[in-house]
Amino acid sequence: MSVSIFLPPKISMLTMIGACLICLSACEPSEPITEGPPPDVRRLTEDQYRNIISDVFGASIVVGGRFDTPVRTEGLQAVGARNATVTAAALSQYDEMARSISRQVMSGPSRQFMAPCAATGQVEFDEHCTTQLVTKIGRLLFRRPMTDREISDRVGVVRETTQRLNDFSEGLSTGLASLLVSPQFLFVADVVEDDPNESNALRLNAFSKATRLSFFLWNRSPDKRLLEAAESGELHSEDSLESHVERMMASPLLKAGVRAFFTDLLEFSEFDFLEKDSLIYPAFGAGAVRDAQEQTLRTITDHVITKNRDYRDLFTTRDTFMTSTLGMVYRVQVKARPGTWEPYQFASDDPRIGIQGHLSFLALNSHPGRSSPTLRGKAIRNMLLCQQVPDPPPDVDFSGFNDPNSPSKTARERLTAHSTSAACAGCHRITDPIGLALEKFDGAGQFRQTENDALIDTSGDLDGIAYTDSAGLGLALHDNPATTKCLINRLYAYGSGNNLSSRNEWMAYLEDRFSADGYRIMSLMKRISASKTFYAVSAPDMSGQTIETAAVQ
Amino acid sequence: MLLLAPLLTLTAPSNDAYAEPQTLGFVVTKWNTAMHETRFMDECPEGPTPGNWEIWESTVTPEERRSYPEALITQVRHVNYRGPNGEDICAEPTSVVDPPLKIVEGKYSYGIDLDNNEDGQATPKTCTHKNFAGLNGENGIDNQMYRLMGCVEAWRSYGHIESNANSHRVSSGLGMILMEVTGVDDLLNDDSVKVIFYRGVGSFTLDSKGEVLPFASYEIDHENGEPRYNDMVSGKIVDGVLKTVAADVHIPHYGNYQYLRQLIQDMQVDMELPTESGKTSGMVYGYYGVEQFYSYVRGMLTSFPNRHKFSCPPIYVAAHELADGHPDPESGECTTLSSAFKFNAVRAFINHPEPEKLASTSDSSGALAINRR
Repeated sequence: MSVSIFLPPKISMLTMIGACLICLSACEPSEPITEGPPPDVRRLTEDQYRNIISDVFGASIVVGGRFDTPVRTEGLQAVGARNATVTAAALSQYDEMARSISRQVMSGPSRQFMAPCAATGQVEFDEHCTTQLVTKIGRLLFRRPMTDREISDRVGVVRETTQRLNDFSEGLSTGLASLLVSPQFLFVADVVEDDPNESNALRLNAFSKATRLSFFLWNRSPDKRLLEAAESGELHSEDSLESHVERMMASPLLKAGVRAFFTDLLEFSEFDFLEKDSLIYPAFGAGAVRDAQEQTLRTITDHVITKNRDYRDLFTTRDTFMTSTLGMVYRVQVKARPGTWEPYQFASDDPRIGIQGHLSFLALNSHPGRSSPTLRGKAIRNMLLCQQVPDPPPDVDFSGFNDPNSPSKTARERLTAHSTSAACAGCHRITDPIGLALEKFDGAGQFRQTENDALIDTSGDLDGIAYTDSAGLGLALHDNPATTKCLINRLYAYGSGNNLSSRNEWMAYLEDRFSADGYRIMSLMKRISASKTFYAVSAPDMSGQTIETAAVQ
Repeated sequence: MLLLAPLLTLTAPSNDAYAEPQTLGFVVTKWNTAMHETRFMDECPEGPTPGNWEIWESTVTPEERRSYPEALITQVRHVNYRGPNGEDICAEPTSVVDPPLKIVEGKYSYGIDLDNNEDGQATPKTCTHKNFAGLNGENGIDNQMYRLMGCVEAWRSYGHIESNANSHRVSSGLGMILMEVTGVDDLLNDDSVKVIFYRGVGSFTLDSKGEVLPFASYEIDHENGEPRYNDMVSGKIVDGVLKTVAADVHIPHYGNYQYLRQLIQDMQVDMELPTESGKTSGMVYGYYGVEQFYSYVRGMLTSFPNRHKFSCPPIYVAAHELADGHPDPESGECTTLSSAFKFNAVRAFINHPEPEKLASTSDSSGALAINRR
């Protein structure tokens, strides 16, 4: 029996589709109501600092100096930033950087930013102009309008310096530097207010909400439109938040946000300390170190943003990008000119598969002169599966493992001998079978068939899934439920600074939706950033102070 | 891209035979005239050949020498333009009669029996010459280039001429020699392969010690899609060693500020195919034109003969006297010198010009236009 549907002429197909979408939307489980953590304060990361300076004063500004070593907590520097302090040495560096930046702003092409106050050679202090300028810059640096007190303090700095040095430009430069070393700029504070929609409840104020959203999606301060939405209070409306999320997800700046997340997740900051023996790995020089990181980040952004593919396929993909420098280490032909990139696909029978087969992962998680199945296995457990593997005990005896006269030719043989000790066996059992699958890649990530002339056995298993080679490991990672759970956890923690483990209902919801969305990171980011939970806060124990005043103090 | 996949397996030492014929690329990293050098220069019983300055000094009295201005450039002018009518003695090497070049008198040399004639007597294709014995005792080794230049210190392994050329090639990428071996079915033994010689453009990729890294990709120097160098020869692989049949081949060269489109006649290559390291070395044998060689000598900077101890006229004269190959049909004088060259090479990927890119650019890298000379 056939069924025909009669559509009245005024009901268009679009209306029908809209109705279906509404139905589908209504059929989705609703976001569980989850209590948020207390408000917090986080130090700007180095990348965030650089991005803000570039956005506010122009890309030509050079940010020199060293930043304090970031703290990594629960696998992320973004979470560790909650515990980060500014040491005396770091404060001195911030001060130097601030002075350098303000000098560049006053003398370079960015000087126009200071107009009309910064007319060259002006000696007299101009209060009106200074107030306007401080208000304008302060709003961008503090990610909110400055208070009257903050403005008058900075104007006072400019006035005093101008009078002492008899130079208005110097006064402005000092005033700008003082903004750049202020805690309101260097720290991201969650500022809360009473929630008008719920009695006895707090919520992030609109500027903190905008800041959280912007750092999550773009790894930089809110742009003009987002600040305006915060200023008008419009950002508290679900529709407005959603439209800003849509807008920001569509922006090219999303790539920067995704890159920042994966840079943190994959611990690329460790590349600053990476040492490789150039006699053993002559091809793995500074260029390879730089390009290896970029290769993985390009692969990821291409995969999850441009192609919007299943996150899990990152561990099985053969698609990547290549430079001539990387081509030498991978030993593949590259047509791109030096310094340029070209898309590349590893052959179907190539043992290199997924981002865990990239130089960035293999070289970073190895020793200077040899590979390390243990470090690689541990990295996969920690970074990609969120399973904490403890550091080895301090009294562990590596002499047998490192003995150059050992009859054991391969890492597998050496590790087998080493892991007979009960103290070591526990951890090695969960790391080594993973890392051994990658043993055909040496300490620089170059392919090899043998170690000390012995054929390398790459078999192993991951949580009960056995495999014979690195491709099998990729598939096991792809199918492991911990892989996607870990991503959700890390992504949420990256954006909010808080771990999800204690909020199982919300986690379960995100897992369910991530699966329903085909494991698309874009969808996951959108859901998180448009959710209530992402911005939820509970009452802080601040003994009568706002968290921002605590931070300032 | 997928077509490149099998190349990856070349690093596998146990995998010698391929299902599909493979292409192996190489870039030459070092090129030297093969000189058998003994510790005390026994092969040159009369010692090293004197340089231009020493020859000039022997022709003037100390008083005359002192009468010249001290400025080096003025002195060089006197020394280099010492022809009877002020001729440049490198441009006109017969304008003076210098003492004869000191040549190699030793018994042994690198090389092969190019003319299949162990006694060195003239044949329709060769002139009478003295053969060497090979370093492993082989007979009939032809290497008149060594006999000619082996006692000129600047050409020996510690001399300036060849080390300068090599370091300049590596640092500049100029005169880059690319070799492509095609149709390789088996890395150990293959009775039929082709070898093509190209000139590369671009820079060498070096490690932190300045050595050329294996497995880099290089582009062929071309014009409108046609490689400027592309001589192809047949060869075979025997026990992992590539051997080519004798053929005339053009090899690019750059050294001592000169480009040469050098023709090596009856050229044969002997090169071990590398395994995992990607590094190898080999020999090139063949006949090198006397005029081609002398034009290289003549084209060097005016300071070179004095600073690096050689003199053009004796080299010119001796080169013609020692020439042993390719007799001129009219005069009967030989025009080429039997030679042997040592080279080092590393595995490389050779990028051929892509037709779609040629539509927009009719030439290889504009930035490297200097390489086209």
